[in-house]
Amino acid sequence: MRATVFALGVAILAAGRPAFAAATPITLGAAVQMTGAMANTGRYYRDAYQLAVAQVNALGGVTVGGEKHPLSLKLYDNQSDVNLGVRQYVELLTQDKVNFLLGPFSSDDALDDSSVAEKYRVPMVEGGGASSQIFSRGYSYVFGTLPPADDYFASTIEMLGKLSPPARTVALVSADDAFDVSVAKGTRKLLSAAGLELVVDKQYPEDNAEFASILSLVASKHPDVILWSGHEAQALNFIREMKSLGVSPERMASFTVGVPTADFRQALGPDAEYAFGMTPWLPSAAERDDWFGDGEKFAALYHQKLGYAPDYHAASAVADVETFVKAIEAAGSLDSGKVRDAIAHLDFQSLYGRIHFNPGGQIALAQTVIQIQHGQVVPIYVHDFVHRPLYPVPAWSKRLAHK
Amino acid sequence: MTVRWLATALACAVLAAVPLAARPTLTQYGIEALLLASLAQAWNILGGYAGYPSFGNSAFYGLGTYGTAVAMARFHQQFGVGLACGAALGMACACAVGVPILRLRGPYFAIVTLGLSAMLAAIVRNVAIAGRNIGLILPIFRSDTLFYELALGLLAAATAAVALTARSRFGAGLVAIRENEEAAAVMGVATTRFKVMALALAAVITALAGGIHAYWITFVDPASAFDSSLNVKMVIMAVFGGPGTVVGPVVGALLLSGVSEWLASAISSMASLFYGLVIVLAVLFMPKGLWDAGRGLRQRGLRYFGENLRRYRL
Amino acid sequence: MLLFAQIVVNGLLVGGLYGLMALGMGLVWGVLNIVNLMHGALIMLGGYAVYYLYTSAGLDPFAALPLAMLGLFGLGYALQWFVLGQIARSPLLNTLLVTFGLEVVATYLAQLAFSADLRTINPPYAGQHLALGGLVVPLVPAAAFGAALVLAASLWLALGRTRTGRAIRASAQNLGAARLYGVNPRRIFALTFGTGAALAGAAGGLYGLVAQISPYMGNSLTPKSFVIAILGGLDRPLGVLAGGLALGVAEALTGAYLASTYVDAISFGLLVLLLVARTSRLLRPA
Repeated sequence: MRATVFALGVAILAAGRPAFAAATPITLGAAVQMTGAMANTGRYYRDAYQLAVAQVNALGGVTVGGEKHPLSLKLYDNQSDVNLGVRQYVELLTQDKVNFLLGPFSSDDALDDSSVAEKYRVPMVEGGGASSQIFSRGYSYVFGTLPPADDYFASTIEMLGKLSPPARTVALVSADDAFDVSVAKGTRKLLSAAGLELVVDKQYPEDNAEFASILSLVASKHPDVILWSGHEAQALNFIREMKSLGVSPERMASFTVGVPTADFRQALGPDAEYAFGMTPWLPSAAERDDWFGDGEKFAALYHQKLGYAPDYHAASAVADVETFVKAIEAAGSLDSGKVRDAIAHLDFQSLYGRIHFNPGGQIALAQTVIQIQHGQVVPIYVHDFVHRPLYPVPAWSKRLAHK
Repeated sequence: MTVRWLATALACAVLAAVPLAARPTLTQYGIEALLLASLAQAWNILGGYAGYPSFGNSAFYGLGTYGTAVAMARFHQQFGVGLACGAALGMACACAVGVPILRLRGPYFAIVTLGLSAMLAAIVRNVAIAGRNIGLILPIFRSDTLFYELALGLLAAATAAVALTARSRFGAGLVAIRENEEAAAVMGVATTRFKVMALALAAVITALAGGIHAYWITFVDPASAFDSSLNVKMVIMAVFGGPGTVVGPVVGALLLSGVSEWLASAISSMASLFYGLVIVLAVLFMPKGLWDAGRGLRQRGLRYFGENLRRYRL
Repeated sequence: MLLFAQIVVNGLLVGGLYGLMALGMGLVWGVLNIVNLMHGALIMLGGYAVYYLYTSAGLDPFAALPLAMLGLFGLGYALQWFVLGQIARSPLLNTLLVTFGLEVVATYLAQLAFSADLRTINPPYAGQHLALGGLVVPLVPAAAFGAALVLAASLWLALGRTRTGRAIRASAQNLGAARLYGVNPRRIFALTFGTGAALAGAAGGLYGLVAQISPYMGNSLTPKSFVIAILGGLDRPLGVLAGGLALGVAEALTGAYLASTYVDAISFGLLVLLLVARTSRLLRPA
């Protein structure tokens, strides 16, 4: 399966070559998680980068100074090892001499790898790190296409205020890595602004995720809402333990990751039902794109070429490639400083949404609240209701009766 | 004797010139390799000479890392001050826990050091000034040459320390402890004091390596500071090269990290597979290290490998 | 009060699994003097074995457990016979290194064969629970706990009452003397390592039922097994089981009343303290 995908990737890349026999390629480099604990999500980045580069080349590449240049990609496997990733980024810049950098998955990796970009003064556009820590260092060469972690639950909390029966008490469970600490910090502020009471606020170590104690504690407080922030693997764990300990929130539970991803739903089967989540992106015909037509066409093409459906990670990765193309063409040069300035002033429409970076370097996109209904991901709320949520969510004991 | 010193000086001079002449990636690799070699050499003092195999030197590495990082990021000190803080922290830890943990032998000592490292990492995760699990960000310093020379200097100092130790009564005492600790004690060797000194020396070198690495990488967090894979790496490199010798660990470290780095860039996806295989085969066929293998090959040729198998099998 | 009782129950259930995990490591360490750094990889392989038996052959996971154990036994036997036995008499550190290398290889191959996707073993009866008084006892972890107890007791009986068990213990104490009594060291050592691997495999299968499986799951389980094996006294099955239970409860209490982020500090802190405190009783031949 992986071999086929890889072969497809090569074929796609090779197919996009013919138009520019003489022009020097513009190389984008990245070290992503192709193997290792995060390979599950890392592969979205690898595949999306490859697809985006191929598509750009198929449609004429990048025009600089009247000349068309193909894009080329140099990818390394960081084996989900942050330290290796940092070394690989240095290698990309000093040995492979890539022109610009794309990002890895995960805030922890992006945090370190972006330091390399800043150190060598080469622009990096990353779509895998949302932690505010990445963008609060005063760096000028780093840009991110994931919306700030602090605001991940904003849409959800806003939605809760409009639902009935109302929710009043919240349990917050979060991991202790960069991304989730940012989420928790932001969520606490959002909750107090919305007048919701935090009855449980527990942090768990990201490498030793044992939820039984936390869940028993949560159960004893009977919260209306459970808000959970961590990594996909642990979300799975959490839901299963919720079920086996019979812990149900009175109204609903929402997770920062997992819900939009197909193999997460597959692993949980019917237990995934009713879970709320969020995504900054859903394939939509309304999001027009210069290379893929629109979001829906992109999703179809992606699924067809790679054999699985894309999620926001993939869309974010594609947006990163498109950002560079637009910036290079706007700057009319490959000079790092000029391209960096161009990126900072970009404002364009893509299949991922509106690409525009705030002064800190992060994009501003609202999270769409989604829910798994009958095995499908259904968009529920972004600024206003899109579909009706199944709310309040039935307790586990009542759900089992359905089966 | 003088020839050896000259040769060493020459080697140092050549190595020192690397960043000026070679590609930046070589300098990068060099920093990594030199730091690892220093770690292997530090391990060698307690593990190779005294026979106490530590599986938790990452504890001191982490303390050095955090000492430097906290001093620089929270208290805005200079790098030199930061390094000193890191080294002091490492030394303090060694002196504090040295006596109790050095009462254990062999694999039990290995495990207690492993536990110590894991415990420190887990504690640091909860310490606010250290940035908890997210860690700290250090100011950027754009000169790999500096870090390279520092790492080289550290390795030179560590090797010099080992060389001096090997020739001193301290060293003789350590070897006596390794061969037969009870007898050594009876003969008047201050076993506890020597062991703690060895641990402290190893701790300082290891902590300095951590501090240099921290400033180079610009970012510290508990997972990478107390990285447990470092423990295995430094043990393998020291053992592979030849524990209880002066140059063995350096050779082992430089060679193994060279192989590993080459594998990672040449066959990126299969790198870890080959790395694992190399280790297994190396230990099977050269259980006493490279240095011994070098000698054995010279004396007995390829039969050396066969003999190893026969001698050490069940 | 009820919360406290619930927490303790949670801890015991997890602790049973912990104990099982460490049984194999303790046995191998105590008898063969091998510190098996690939222990976590063996757990992982057991997990995948049960997973594939369940998903491809439709076998109930608990029924698949003996089969997985058999497979792992064979693997362990072969590893000891062909690889580890070669360096049995070289400096102790070398077994650490070889098992480390093997762990790297095994993890890589697993990643290649099974992909990094997370798997769960999710039989239809998973997620149910028994309500005893006000306590919630989840079904599958309780069954896993039961299986762990059974296996620990079996090991204890086997070591104590059977001829092979006595041969194993004799070899651990004095190999030379054992040989004089007709013990074949190669076979006994391979048998022991195989048993250790089988127990690890069982733990992996149960782990897949309770949590999830990935090629890298072994990384965190190996150090934990160390802690428990030492707590329990290595090749004393009941002691190791007790050690696992104790650790499970300690972790659960820490997680509920302190913060989950302290859990590792407590378990490794316990390890260090216990080792240091027991130095006078640990005069095993190095």
